[in-house]
Parts: sequence; C-alpha cells; structure tokens
Amino acid sequence: MTHHSTDGAGGEQTGSNRFNRRQFLAATGAGATTAIAGCTGGGGGSSGPIKIGGVYLLSGVAEALGTASANAARAAVDAINENGGVNGRDVEIQLRDHGSNPQQTIKSLAQEFGADVMIGLTSSGVTLNSAPTIESLGMPFTLTDIGTPFITEPDTEAYGNYYESDSGKAAFTPNMFRTNANTSVMTYAIAKFIAEEYGAMRVANMGPNYAYGQQCWDYFKAYSEGLGVDHEYVASEFPELGASDMTPQINSVLSADPELLFTSFWAGDTTTFISQAADQGLFEEVEDVFDTIGADPTVYEALGDTTPEGIHMSGWYWATAYDNEHNQAFLDKYRSMYEGENTPSIPGFTGGSTWAAIYMYKKAIESAGGTDSDDLVAELEGITIDNDPRGPTTMKESTHQATAPTVIGETSFDADVPYDGAGLANTQTYTLSREEAMDLLDGSGLGPGV
Amino acid sequence: MSYEVSERLFAGEDPTRVRIAGVAVALLLVAPLALGPFQTGLLAETLAFVVFATAFNLLYGYTGLLSFGHAMFVAVSGYTVAKTVQQVGPALGFPDLFGGASVLATWLLALLLGTVAAFVLAVIIGYLSVRLEEIYFAMITLSFSMAIYVIANQDIVGSVLAAAGVGGGTFTNGSDGLTFLLGDVSLFGLEFRLVDIADPSAYYVATVLVATVAMYALWRIVNSPFGTTCKAIRENPERARALGIDTQYHSWMAFILSGTFSGLAGALLIPLFTNVNPNYAYWTFSAEPVIMTVIGGPYAFLGPLVGAVSYEYLRWAISQFELLEQYWQFSFGVLLLVVVLFFDNGVYGGFERLGAWLSVANERYEDDGIAGVRGFTRETVGGWVVTARRVVGRRVRSLRAKFAD
Repeated sequence: MTHHSTDGAGGEQTGSNRFNRRQFLAATGAGATTAIAGCTGGGGGSSGPIKIGGVYLLSGVAEALGTASANAARAAVDAINENGGVNGRDVEIQLRDHGSNPQQTIKSLAQEFGADVMIGLTSSGVTLNSAPTIESLGMPFTLTDIGTPFITEPDTEAYGNYYESDSGKAAFTPNMFRTNANTSVMTYAIAKFIAEEYGAMRVANMGPNYAYGQQCWDYFKAYSEGLGVDHEYVASEFPELGASDMTPQINSVLSADPELLFTSFWAGDTTTFISQAADQGLFEEVEDVFDTIGADPTVYEALGDTTPEGIHMSGWYWATAYDNEHNQAFLDKYRSMYEGENTPSIPGFTGGSTWAAIYMYKKAIESAGGTDSDDLVAELEGITIDNDPRGPTTMKESTHQATAPTVIGETSFDADVPYDGAGLANTQTYTLSREEAMDLLDGSGLGPGV
Repeated sequence: MSYEVSERLFAGEDPTRVRIAGVAVALLLVAPLALGPFQTGLLAETLAFVVFATAFNLLYGYTGLLSFGHAMFVAVSGYTVAKTVQQVGPALGFPDLFGGASVLATWLLALLLGTVAAFVLAVIIGYLSVRLEEIYFAMITLSFSMAIYVIANQDIVGSVLAAAGVGGGTFTNGSDGLTFLLGDVSLFGLEFRLVDIADPSAYYVATVLVATVAMYALWRIVNSPFGTTCKAIRENPERARALGIDTQYHSWMAFILSGTFSGLAGALLIPLFTNVNPNYAYWTFSAEPVIMTVIGGPYAFLGPLVGAVSYEYLRWAISQFELLEQYWQFSFGVLLLVVVLFFDNGVYGGFERLGAWLSVANERYEDDGIAGVRGFTRETVGGWVVTARRVVGRRVRSLRAKFAD
C-alpha cells in the first residue's frame, strides 16, 4: 500500500465508491442536458417578424397533400411580404411534419419557435386529439385541410360533448377556425347533385377504414334522406387506409350490382382505388362514381391516362373553378414559385383554404394592431375577406367555420392542366347554411358543423 | 411513536446512494423554475418513459424475455384513464364529493385503475406468453398487442356492448380515440390546472413524485432475491430449473410486475398527451422502450433511464434542425447503429467504461503525477489510434490495389 501515499483519503476503490462516480456522471449528464435545454422558449413580441407555424403531414400516405398545403402557405406568405408585410412587419413561416407526436410538434412551434398564429393539420383524428393542447396554448389555429364536422360544432347540448363522452360529436374549440368546407358540406353537395341528376338509385359505398370514411358515409346517407331521396344501399366496404390491394372490396361492391358508387378516398388511396377499379372494369359497370376529396392534381398526374372520364369528384378547391382576379393572382404566384419544381404548378385541393387562412390572419392582425391571441380570436370571429380565391368568405362567429364552398366537377382530359393527366371540367360549387343543414340532418343525430 | 419507517424502507441501501438519489429528485422538483414550459413538458414525458423503459427492462434485461408488445399496457391503462376521467369519476359523484379537489381525486383514481387494468391484462397475457421463449415470446406479445390495437381501432368493445343493449356503439371511439383534459384544481387556497399544456409545472411535479416511487419500487424488486432469480433465468434457464427454480412461474411474475409498472407509466403519459388512441397499442410504440433500453444498456438498472433521456432529448435535438428533422428516422437510425455497433451495453456501458478508465487514470496520477496519466493515455487511447490507423491503412491499400488493376 506504500504507493498510495499522496494523502490519507486516497485508498482502494471500493465497489460502492465507483458506483457513486458513475451515478454522478449520469446525473451531471442529465443536468447538463436540462441546462442547455433551458435557454430556449419564446413568445409573440410586438416587433420583429410575425411568426406563423404550420403543421402538415409531410411524409407517408398523405405527403403529396400536406406538401401542396405547405406550398400554398409559402406562396401566400411570399406574396404578403412582397407587398409590404403585415403592419409593416415581415411574415415568417415555419412548416413541420406531424412527426411521431403531433401535439409535441404543435407545442414546439408555439413555445420554441414562438408562433403568433398557426395553420395546419392533415388528419381529422390528430385535430380532435390535439384540440385540448391547442386550446391551452391559446394562439389562433386555423385548419385548412380538415374534414370532421365535429371540430366546428358548438352545440354540446344536442350532440354531446366530444371531450366528456365516447359518443359526443361537438368538439368546438374557442381558438380553432376552419377555412375549408368540411365533410358535412362535401357530402351534402354530392347528395344534392345525385338527387338532382339521378334521383333514387342503388348506391354502394367505399372508403378508408377509419373515422373519416365512416363519417362520410353516415353524413351522405343522412343528407340523402333529408333531401327525400330514397336510395337503396347495397354494399359498404372499407379497405385499410393506405391499402395496396383493394380488389377484394371492389369485387364485393361489383357483386352487389350498384348503379352509383360513393367513395371517400383521398390522396394515395384515390390513386390506388381508381387504378384497381379501372383494371376490374368497375367504371363500365356503374353509371357514375363520386368521391369526396380525391380531386387533386397530384392524383390525376399519378394516374396519367388511367382516370376514367365523366365520373364526379369533389374537393375544397379546383384551380379553374373560380373566375375572379384574386384566384388569378393566386395561380400566378403559385406558378411563379413552383413551375419546374417536382410538383404540379397549380395548387392542390387544399390550396384555396390555405391561402385564405393566411390572408385572414393578415386582416385580423392589421385590425387588432398586434398579435395578442385573445384580440386575434375576437377579430377572426365574423371576419370577411374579399380576396379569397374562392370568392368572398366569412368566418362564422358561432361555429368558427368559414362559409367556404365545395366544388364538384367531371373528370375530363380536356381540362386545362399543366401536367399529363385528367382534370375537372363543368365544375359547380355548393355552400350550406346551418339552418338548412339542421333541417336536412334532423333525426340523424349528426351535427351540421357549419 | 415511531415505526422506524425510514429505517425499514431504506434498509440495506447505501446511504450515499440514497443521498444522491435525494439530490437528484430535489433538483428535478425545482427544475421547472429554470426550464421553460416546453422543456418542463418534455421532461415530464421523459420521466414517464423512464418508468416505462425500466419496467420493460425488468423483463428484458433482467429476465431475458424480449417483449415486443409492451405498448398494450400503456394503451389499456390509457383507455382506463380516459374512461375514468370521462365517466367513472362523474358517475361516482366526484365533483360533489371532493369539490375543488375533484380533478385531483379523479386523477389519483385514474392512476390506480389504469395500473390495475394493466395488472389484470398482464396476469392473463403473461400466463399465456411465458410458456414461450426468445423469438416466439417476442412474436406472441406482438400478436396480443396488435390484437388490442384492432379491438380499439374497430371499436369491437362498443359493438359488443351495443349488441348487448348497452351504450350507443362507441366505447373506444375507433381511430380518433378518446380525448380528455384534467382541468382546474382548487386545494388549500391553491388554484391550478392539473394538466395545463401551456405551463405543465403542476403535472410535472406530480409526475416526478409518482416516477420516483415507481423507480424506487423497481430498484427494490431487482435487488431482491426475486431479482436475482430473474437474472439466473436470463443467464441459463436450464440450470435455473435444475436448481429447483420454477422458471415459468418466475417469468410470469416478472411479466406481471413489468406490465403493471408499464401501465403506471401509461397512466402518467396519457393525460399529458390529453388523448389515447389505438396507435398507443401499435407495434411501433412497443418498439420505443426496446430502443430506449438498447441505447441506454439493458444490463444495468439505470440503463433504460439513460436510454429514455438520450432518446427523448436526441429526438428533440433533431427537431431543432430542419434538415435532420426532415429525415429524422434516418438520423435516429444512424445513431442507433453507432450505439449497437460500438457500445457494449449501451450508453450506460460507455459511462461505466469511462468511469473505470478514469479510476485507473487516477491511480496512475497518484503514483506518477501527470506523467503517469499521459503514459496511461498513450497506452490506451494511443493503442486505439494505432489499431484504427492499421485497419484503415489496410483497407486503403486493398482499395488502391483493386483500382490499380
């Protein structure tokens, strides 16, 4: 032991002693991480750029869809900055993927990036799940791509509180708004179109196997009944979301021999459905096929010449459906930014609602003279913008749902599109008031959400 | 009158260790003062994952059974929590019974019921699973977990109940899941929101307390004769059987304990996410404690803790860089690859070796002063450099030879 003689305390390394050092190292490691982490955190100021946070599905099954929304948002921000910003302040936008934990992404944009206002979301499920998070954070959040009528349904008495029971259908959240037409309007438009063009028919359904597909079918049936059309419902099939093979369901629908087929596919699922249904000759067997939100340039581009002509597809926006200068300005701006990029140079079906959301924020911030969350929410309630590409739009004060139209068109290869593939022709737009919707849905237990 | 509770509770614990753990908990409790709300929320989430990964490791690192379905305990516990907040609490008249503290009482009940639900599930599924070992055990736990995913996703419970004349056909609410919020508490003049996303300090403190108790309980379990038996089973099941240990029974007990604590972690986690949905039973969520444990090191009690902290904060760090975030799965994959290839027993194993190296370096310093340390560094680090240079040199020469042809 003579060589351990520098001081009295120096001695053998005992087991527990060594353990303590390790534990200490682990503890300091954790401490250091937290110390570094503590330096961040933000909040809206009254100078510097106005910050917009955006969350969309930028990977996976709906990548093309989320990317089109993100592109439209960037185009709007660019156009605003070119024209002097908002109240002389520049606008900065940060767009992120839903990621593995969307609530965390939303929190990060609000608290780390310091977003004054937010736009986004590509999934109705994520929207409903994130509503309490968004409400706690307080800043205005405008949905641009969301189908579920629940989120703009405030009548908890009639339809049940979504957050307090498993069967509630009213999930209104005070600081959430929506600029796209929701499932309620979409299905009403298709039900109305069929009532006028075809009358009572043998109708089959196909849709993705999750809440959205189920909801579309429920609303479609309720609206058809409300409109007094006595369809015979012969089949209903729900392939998995993102399914690669839908032939069993297509066969099952074909064997029920329907006259009309109602579908609620979107993005990649629409492509899969149309190409496999075409292979099996479905489009020759039925008189017409309808789809709620499949009408998107990325879908038609992917399908090439496979798209059958003359079926009816709808969406929240179609580039050539609106003849006004504001739509033209949007199209010009979009083309100038994305022409030659690896994406169609016309906006997708979420383009109009996303562009409009940014311009609503611009107007609200200008009126409020700042970015205080409560002031902005108050300004947004009942706000009307005249430069919406889809025509003047008002954000309804009671439901936070914009008076946005849905557009139905006929697939055609004569449509004016900047890619090889089909587009929509003979487009018609539909809107729906709360009174009308309540009247039509009476007895179904479904909320109008408008 | 004293029952010497503290003496009995910490019997056999090294006092220094207790002191360090105490300081760590105290630091955690005051952390929100230094952290922003976002970081406080992240830390609360991390702590719940620490409990989850440590509970998982009771089965994996200590008993040698790799479960690929531990998400089911979080999901079942989460659904129970949601049901308790939405229905059980109000049905028992909690708002009248507890007044301002009713949210707190509901939360405690939810925590208890969530854990109990996971316990019951673990008893049943464990009984059926522990007959199998290795890959077959991983597959059967994966199957059970995916079955629960489908039951929740298609709301089979709701349909069955509706067929029996109960409810309106919804129970788990399909793919949307159940969303709820633990709201305002008013207790002893203190008013706060239990789960306030904008400033989650209150829920964070509750999480620290529950996680501390859970970690201490797990620590006692692995250091008990039961824990030693588990390790014997891990090392050599045949030999353990030859010694008279009922390995199947012990594995079952380990499974139940692991599942129960995973359920407790789930009951902590789900209120923070304000929602439970079928994805919490999906196999990708089962992979999270596996990855955390592999990163941290399965053969040490604190390995999963280090792994969970590394996982959560690396994920956060990646999200700070747009390019890395765009390909976050890739960034994370590369990192995992590095740990698996170069670290024996994960990051914790790395800490251990660093500790061992430092202690030898310290000895050399005591012997020969700074020159001794320099010599030791030359011997060890120098040796690695020489080896690396030799390997790389050989590879370069062989490549050069190949391209010269």
